[in-house]
Amino acid sequence: MGQNYKIVMMKKLLIGLTLLVAGMSTSQAQQKIKYVEYDLPNGLHVILHEDHSTPIVAVSVMYHVGSKNEDPSRTGFAHFFEHLMFEGSDNIPRGEYSNYVEKAGGALNANTSQDRTFYYDLLPSNQLELGLWLESERMMHAKVDSTGIATQREVVKEEKRQRVDNQPYGSFQAEIMSHAFKVHPYQWTPIGSMEHLDAAEESDYVNFYKTFYVPNNACLSIAGDLNIKETKKLIEAYFSEIPKGAEIVRPTIMEPIKTEQVRDTVYDNIQLPAVMMAFHSPALGTDDAYAMDMVSNILSQGSSSRLHKKIIEEEQKAVYVGAFPFPLEDPGIFIAFSITNAGVEPTEVEASIMEEVTKLQTELISENEFQKLQNQIENDIVSGYSSQAGIAENLAQYYMYYGSTKLINTEIKKYRAVTREDIMAVAKKYLTVENSVVLFYLPKQ
Amino acid sequence: MKKLLLFMFSLLLTSVTMAQIDRSKAPGAGPAPKIQLGEYETFTLANGLQVFLVENHKSPRVSWQLFVNRDMVSEGENIGLQSLMGSMLMTGTTTKTKTQIDESMDFIGASLTTTSKGAYASSLTKHKETTLSLMSDVILNPTFSEEELAKFKKQTISGLLSNASDPAAMSSNVRSVVTYGTAHPYGEVETEETVTTINTEMCKSFYSTYFKPNISYLIIVGDISKKEALPMVEKYFGSWVKGEVPTHAFETPKVPAQTQVDFVNKPGAVQSTISIVYPVALIPGSDDVIAASVMNAILGNSGFMARLIQNIREDKAYTYGAYSSLSTDPLIGQFYAGAEVRNEVTDSAIVQFIYEMDRLTKESVDAEELQDVKNYLNGRFARSLERPQTVARFALNTARYNLSNDYYATYLERLQAVTSEDVMRVAKKYLLTSNAHIVVVGNKAEVASKLKVFNKEGKVTYYDAFGNTVADVEPIPQGVTSKQVIDTYLDAIGDRTKLASISSRDITMSSSMQGRPLEIHSITKGSDKMVLTVKSGEMVFQSVKISGASGKMTGMMGDKDLSEEEVATYLEGNVIFDELALNPDLTTLIDIEEMNGVMAYKLKVGASKYFFYDVKTGLKVGEIETQETPNGPVTSTSLLKDYKDVNGILVPFTILEDNAGQVMEMKVEKAEFGGKVSDSVFK
Repeated sequence: MGQNYKIVMMKKLLIGLTLLVAGMSTSQAQQKIKYVEYDLPNGLHVILHEDHSTPIVAVSVMYHVGSKNEDPSRTGFAHFFEHLMFEGSDNIPRGEYSNYVEKAGGALNANTSQDRTFYYDLLPSNQLELGLWLESERMMHAKVDSTGIATQREVVKEEKRQRVDNQPYGSFQAEIMSHAFKVHPYQWTPIGSMEHLDAAEESDYVNFYKTFYVPNNACLSIAGDLNIKETKKLIEAYFSEIPKGAEIVRPTIMEPIKTEQVRDTVYDNIQLPAVMMAFHSPALGTDDAYAMDMVSNILSQGSSSRLHKKIIEEEQKAVYVGAFPFPLEDPGIFIAFSITNAGVEPTEVEASIMEEVTKLQTELISENEFQKLQNQIENDIVSGYSSQAGIAENLAQYYMYYGSTKLINTEIKKYRAVTREDIMAVAKKYLTVENSVVLFYLPKQ
Repeated sequence: MKKLLLFMFSLLLTSVTMAQIDRSKAPGAGPAPKIQLGEYETFTLANGLQVFLVENHKSPRVSWQLFVNRDMVSEGENIGLQSLMGSMLMTGTTTKTKTQIDESMDFIGASLTTTSKGAYASSLTKHKETTLSLMSDVILNPTFSEEELAKFKKQTISGLLSNASDPAAMSSNVRSVVTYGTAHPYGEVETEETVTTINTEMCKSFYSTYFKPNISYLIIVGDISKKEALPMVEKYFGSWVKGEVPTHAFETPKVPAQTQVDFVNKPGAVQSTISIVYPVALIPGSDDVIAASVMNAILGNSGFMARLIQNIREDKAYTYGAYSSLSTDPLIGQFYAGAEVRNEVTDSAIVQFIYEMDRLTKESVDAEELQDVKNYLNGRFARSLERPQTVARFALNTARYNLSNDYYATYLERLQAVTSEDVMRVAKKYLLTSNAHIVVVGNKAEVASKLKVFNKEGKVTYYDAFGNTVADVEPIPQGVTSKQVIDTYLDAIGDRTKLASISSRDITMSSSMQGRPLEIHSITKGSDKMVLTVKSGEMVFQSVKISGASGKMTGMMGDKDLSEEEVATYLEGNVIFDELALNPDLTTLIDIEEMNGVMAYKLKVGASKYFFYDVKTGLKVGEIETQETPNGPVTSTSLLKDYKDVNGILVPFTILEDNAGQVMEMKVEKAEFGGKVSDSVFK
């Protein structure tokens, strides 16, 4: 791809983050998204959205399992498992899964976050049944042989080398999470440990599949050129015979409130130093999370945002600065990130960021800036749903994380409810020194 | 009762539908849906600005793209000028400061970006006029202030610095340079030095020369009718003054005469970023385009079913992803194939790329695979129509490249018409494994010398992160001759007189091939007697015995007497110490370059055969030779390591044989020089 790589590395990191936990901050549509939802007797939650604009259909399954459900001695397993889930089933020979989709003119992929694993097939609408067959095979009796395991183990290692080890600042997610979390499983990232993957045994795979890849832990979300009545019948035919699994035991451990700042330095193959700050922040869907979302807009959405204007334009201390929530199902973190200009010390940038934070904590934002925030949020929400794939994923996510699919149409009210005083209050509550992790990335040598 | 009946009825329904499915095979497709391209309208202002409108009211948004369709311009000493000028458009107009522009856009949640070829803006429908007026202002009235330029230059230079450690940026820079050459605008790479030269006068001059309505297009997509759009466009772009715009032509870049290896060192890298690139003349809309896209899709651009990802990821597990692309361009396009692979399989992965590219030129693609790929492309085309921007792009391309009006409407028909003969024809034309640049960004110490095998002269050219060649070779110091290098070597391994007196050599080596242990036993006596036996366990794969003019071969392939010619070929290499037989006057000392992790003298000893000697120790560290085979030239390298003393002579105990990427490691198990060997063993 012909790209301008000037400031691209930061964007890449950001895309990586949003990809893993896609579309959760401020997305929603002004035009109402209609859908029907119901449960099969085996516990599979189904959501259907009908839209005949383009003759395509997005068939997706979201499993409520991510890296936080992993055994601490088997980190990386959920993501590795995602790779294995393309290997085949009782009725699909090894390596043929993707062929069925692509030969039908479709595309497919999957991704894994801390909280969930998401599979999707984008198909011409006359191939809807193919998508249901494939996803039901995956849920009913996926099959993995030792050749597949050996191959995908190497592929995942290459994925880690490419995305983390060989990427400037690529270890950022792992470093920030391991410093920010001491007891909660968010302390490791979905890519996990390669040693753990090497140590995994066949029984681990069987247990993981039996525990988490069950209909009562999944949401089948389909959007596009479909007929709801017909689709329901097909879903019944393909999914109802899959037996319900046992109740899922989820991690209940809470990360204790931080009482002391954590500081550290990471040496990487980079040219420009970077500052990364993380603050423990509220879980998705809480009132405070919406307010923190707005804090991130004030700080870094657009060239007129506070951090951009101060640090990039006026002080010229950095090539990039951003502040954004890393929203997770359990309480997560709020990140401020900056790559310094050549010759600027990271401490100077840290000081500038904290100056803006202090301002937020001590001065109410103006009516005018508040109006700007409202306009930005409205714009983001209206622009959110331009593809059937995006709609299918968001419907599933709202159901799975918030237990409320209808938020896809009503979430704007949550933002509207946030006041200027709320913004100041969350800035005071979460963006404190003792609640922070500060990492400096410095060039090796 | 009614409830129970209903329940039974529903059970019945369930079992009926259940019976309809057969899990053992994939369900069939329903009737194919009709693919609608979507409509657009067009109109032109008096100043020549051509407008395309794709009306789509699904979402209350409108986007505006201004595209200045100028020729590519060479930047010479001021590389980075266009990019800076494009960014500078947004930094101030005759009536607004940068802060005011940023505030105005952010306040309504709109976005605006500018480049050296135009601008893009989008907003909610209700803010469309504010958005368009700002876009018009930055395009028509930019001021290019010194202060803002200084900021942008500082930013750009810091960004360039960080490029020096980003493998993707490093690779992109070097690919541009080697594919197009620095004389071509596509081959110009900005550096701190070139960016420093840029001033506001240059920006102003570039802007006023090229930003003219008569060469520009405005593409409007979204929630707006023609009735609304026309007066708005007239209001905000009607006053833009037209004018003559200079045109530029450039010499068309050529493929290299032979495959080159281009290396960029990234110390500490754990992966190699491999790219195989060269220029291709593929003009948008030309006859080969669709067949070539099918061919490229089969190779590396059809999801998981493409051959590269199947071979290099799913079979070999060398990479997370391997892809290829074949770009069309009115000036010059590019072929690219690449992957990021772990250091130790870099050369093996390149071999697989070359294998897959060559295979398409030799083997006809079968009907099923061809149809599968066409279906894939058909589906991709249909999916792309979900975005209204796709229709806008079609409209723009049709105008820019002068395509027939039904080019996109008939695309799917023409896609289906592509035959396997077409695929082979375009594969032969566009897949050029003997005229490619193999660009690798990676760990030089671990990877680079293994790549010499891909160039006929065993040459690797080194670049910095910005595509400047780095002197990796050093000139031969004054006074050093071929004879000295050879003598130093002979003295280093023993003593010339002593070596000359040795008339026999007996070496046993171990190795393995495809997991099977191998034993290689070689005995040489004089210049005309030899035995070479290759065994695995007790099984003899092959044994060659030569004594004088007669020779025979035995083994799994049967026994046979060797012809005079074959005997001569074997005896040619039957020398105990190559260097004793070398005539220094017939050799050429080329340079000093890295080989096998050390700096070494490169000595040309045959038409395409080179020996390498460590500058410090004098020992031979490697050999490279290219041989003509029925499948074209094949280059092989030998890396010699672990010298140990045997009967007072230093012998390399590890030899890494790399035959066009097939690597075999051989360990010396036993060696004897000058021992007594009976003539009978050669018969």
